[in-house]
Amino acid sequence: MVCSWGGYTFIINLIPMHVLLCIVTGRFSSRLYIAYAPLVVLGTLLAALVPVVGFNAVMTSEHFASFLVFIIIHVVAFVYYIKGILSPKMFKVAVTLVVSVGLAVCCAVIAVLIALVASSPTKGWSGRSLSLLDPTYASKYIPIIASVSEHQPPTWPSYFMDINVLAFLVPAGIIACFLPLSDASSFVVLYIATSVYFSGVMVRLMLVLAPAACITSGIALSQAFDVFTGSIKFQLTGASSNTEVDAAETSSSTAESQTDAVKTEKPEETAKNRPSRKSKKKEREHGEKPSTEAKAEKKRLLALPLESSVISLLLLVLLGAFYVVHCVWAAAEAYSAPSIVLTSRSHDGLHVFDDFREAYAWLRHNTDVDDKVASWWDYGYQTTAMANRTVIVDNNTWNNTHIATVGTAMSSPERAAWEIFHSLDVKYVLVVFGGLVGYPSDDINKFLWMVRIGGGVFPHIKEPDYLRDGQYRIDSQATPTMLNCLMYKLSYYRFVETDGKGFDRVRQTEIGKKYFKLTHFEEAFTTHHWMVRIYKLKPPKNRIRGKTKKSKSKTSSTTSSPKRSGTKKKNPWQ
Amino acid sequence: IDLSSHIVKVYLTLKVENAGSTPTSEVLLSFPPTQADHLATVEALVTKGKRKKTTLVRLDVKATELPDAPNDAKYFTIYLANPLKSGESTTIEVLYLLTHSQEPFPAEIAQSESQLVYYRDSALILSPYHIKQQTTFIKTPSTKVESFTRVEPSNRAGTEIKYGPYEDHPPYSFSPILIHFENNSPFAVVEELVREVEISHWGNLQVTEQYTLVHAGARHKGVFSRVDYQSRPTLNGASSLRYLLARLPPRVHSVYYRDEIGNISSSHLRTDSRKSELEIEPRYPLFGGWKATFVIGYGLPLQDFLFETSDDRRYLNFTFGCPLLETVVDKLTVKVVLPEGSKDPSAVVPFPVEQHLETKYSYLDVVGRTVVVMEKKNLVPAHNSHFQVYYTFKPIFMLAEPLMLASAFFLFFVACVAYLHIDLSIRK
Repeated sequence: MVCSWGGYTFIINLIPMHVLLCIVTGRFSSRLYIAYAPLVVLGTLLAALVPVVGFNAVMTSEHFASFLVFIIIHVVAFVYYIKGILSPKMFKVAVTLVVSVGLAVCCAVIAVLIALVASSPTKGWSGRSLSLLDPTYASKYIPIIASVSEHQPPTWPSYFMDINVLAFLVPAGIIACFLPLSDASSFVVLYIATSVYFSGVMVRLMLVLAPAACITSGIALSQAFDVFTGSIKFQLTGASSNTEVDAAETSSSTAESQTDAVKTEKPEETAKNRPSRKSKKKEREHGEKPSTEAKAEKKRLLALPLESSVISLLLLVLLGAFYVVHCVWAAAEAYSAPSIVLTSRSHDGLHVFDDFREAYAWLRHNTDVDDKVASWWDYGYQTTAMANRTVIVDNNTWNNTHIATVGTAMSSPERAAWEIFHSLDVKYVLVVFGGLVGYPSDDINKFLWMVRIGGGVFPHIKEPDYLRDGQYRIDSQATPTMLNCLMYKLSYYRFVETDGKGFDRVRQTEIGKKYFKLTHFEEAFTTHHWMVRIYKLKPPKNRIRGKTKKSKSKTSSTTSSPKRSGTKKKNPWQ
Repeated sequence: IDLSSHIVKVYLTLKVENAGSTPTSEVLLSFPPTQADHLATVEALVTKGKRKKTTLVRLDVKATELPDAPNDAKYFTIYLANPLKSGESTTIEVLYLLTHSQEPFPAEIAQSESQLVYYRDSALILSPYHIKQQTTFIKTPSTKVESFTRVEPSNRAGTEIKYGPYEDHPPYSFSPILIHFENNSPFAVVEELVREVEISHWGNLQVTEQYTLVHAGARHKGVFSRVDYQSRPTLNGASSLRYLLARLPPRVHSVYYRDEIGNISSSHLRTDSRKSELEIEPRYPLFGGWKATFVIGYGLPLQDFLFETSDDRRYLNFTFGCPLLETVVDKLTVKVVLPEGSKDPSAVVPFPVEQHLETKYSYLDVVGRTVVVMEKKNLVPAHNSHFQVYYTFKPIFMLAEPLMLASAFFLFFVACVAYLHIDLSIRK
């Protein structure tokens, strides 16, 4: 999992937590040691082989939990071993000795560790992990992480949308895990508890909640099925035979079910061991008659009436069917939209908005191979793949300062933006504009994040400059900084000519500045529904105004300087 | 001379008189070398009979004459069906098509300007024979003509310019004229087209065509303003390519139109019993110098195109050329993929092409399929005639693929059965 996602830190912290839990609840066994210790060693070694992780596998705080528990499990194993070979009195002596020495050593080690950890500003945790532990961290310090919509906390309806029926089966499963509590079921409980917390912090971690929810609700459902089918079997066979048969039947029926609702005893175990129960039923009947009579009574009380169990079974199956239907629908509607091709239904059929591909195809065929395209980082991978052109920033969001540069350029007035883009050797600027068709995820809606991210690195971009009374507007009440910034101009250039008033369908207002010209950019391409607009940087002027005037004034001043006795003008060219 | 589209169509009506003493059956046509490079087809017809029954007289390959050809003029010979006796005269209709002969001037235009082109020709046709009388009519697409060379007597009326009649000119006389006029018809040029026709004896003919389309008119400079383009399309982008029409055979199925990125959804297919029409719109309108690439594929029923000759050879009868109307193809490659097991392929094409053979490996192929590759340059829609590819195929080879599949599954099942029943334990 290290190779695929950074979320592997969740796993390598969950497993040590579970091991610790097992030790604390007294479930230490050689099995646990054999399972855990090689995992840590091999896992860390293999994780360090992945280029992105490298030495982070031993240096960042996210991995320290596994090492700590590694040490603890060794200590515990040693303690148990010593306990086994020493007598109790000797054991006490050894314990006091070890505790005193060990405590001193531990303190020293922990002090060193704390010093090491405290020396890094984030205490060794990476920004992404910190934003999970402290949900407000990202919005204060790392606006890029805060700007991704998948990093926001989920709403309650989104839980129901994603895991649907499982939302109320999970608590039932948790209860089922406690009857009885074994190593495996305690892991499941821990897994579901932590993943519920984390998915509450960030909606994209629903991904982590989903398997845990499936496991626990599967346990709950299987318990329920056991009870119902057991009762049906009990009722069907109990009604037509005598008590002995009942006993045998119930013992065999409970043996067939995989429940651990009641503590299992030897008869059931022996019954389980036999593969073909039907042929051996008669033997069991005779062998276990006396011991199982008491059991039979108990079981008969636990059995539910026949009709209700049949109906409940059917309802459970129906529940499963509805769940499948919902999942298929959710996958089709919410998770299958490619978000590159948008469709809308109108009275004359399906209308397709293929603007993104149109723009990328235009870029691919009608620009030079070396031309660089600047856009917001959301479209980086798409531009690289479909338009086959170099981009300035892309979805990897690897270099925060670079993204902040692009954000600053988008928030600056035209001339300053031109300077920034010219220094980056950009030829084309791409903006996404949804105002004509009502596409809500366009760059004007994302613009405040550009301001925040740019302002995080370049302090001359201040977010309040773009807000009027704390509100983000683009109509006539917008601030002058907003109306003059590059993003506004590139999005709304000649937009007023489409309908005469410049009504933006997404923001539902008319735009503030309607008639303006672009001085440093020219429009290279706009797609059919105006969703993607591509502008070309105008080349720098050959002659720079002002310098020639200065030299003229210099020559005039030198001719007249013998007359003047006052201050000598400083020559700007030397 | 018809200048209404970017392919120049020239119709000559020649009344040829044999002034010599011997009967001849050859008439020479000559062209200046610049025109000869752009010549796509030359056809000659002779009208016979009272009801305008036309018989097509075949045209021969050009043969450059002996050094008395002034300035490397190129020649075409027309062979008459009946030799012309001395003193007789006959009327021949000649049609030739020129491509890339209209040069856009100004070479770069903005979006709101209309496209003006130059056409260079001669008021008198370059002829190795003495010209007794000649009149030239030139038809321009619109009434907007910037200038035209005046060679007396010349006259312009509406969309037609008339040069002539000229009397008694010696052979090889040439009077260059230059016409500067507006031509907003779409200058669609396919730079490269690769057509692959795959024959499958199970009843389907699959055609895949890969296009590189370019707008060969005046290059686009400056801004492209979508608002201007959408609000006043006749004024802005009058010469842009908005859509193309492709004529496909009837009973076509599974038509797809996609490019490197994915499917292009702006296309319409209209079929009827005699032909199918596919109207495709490229993803963006093409202005001068803009390119687009796409792939069109479709399937056809095999029985419309595959036939058998009397001596047990099969042949495929298919159209050679681009199905797009009014487009010039600079380089066309037609590949006919014959099914596995075909032998002795040979192609019969009505005009000269370069041929060679290749092998292609496809599904369930052991030895590979033979591919007949034909290449030709400078095609026009008039080249959309039929060509034949002959090959021999023993029907027993049809069973090769089913037998291969059946035997594979059979061996697999036998292996499973054997594995389940073999007892490999060492001790009982």
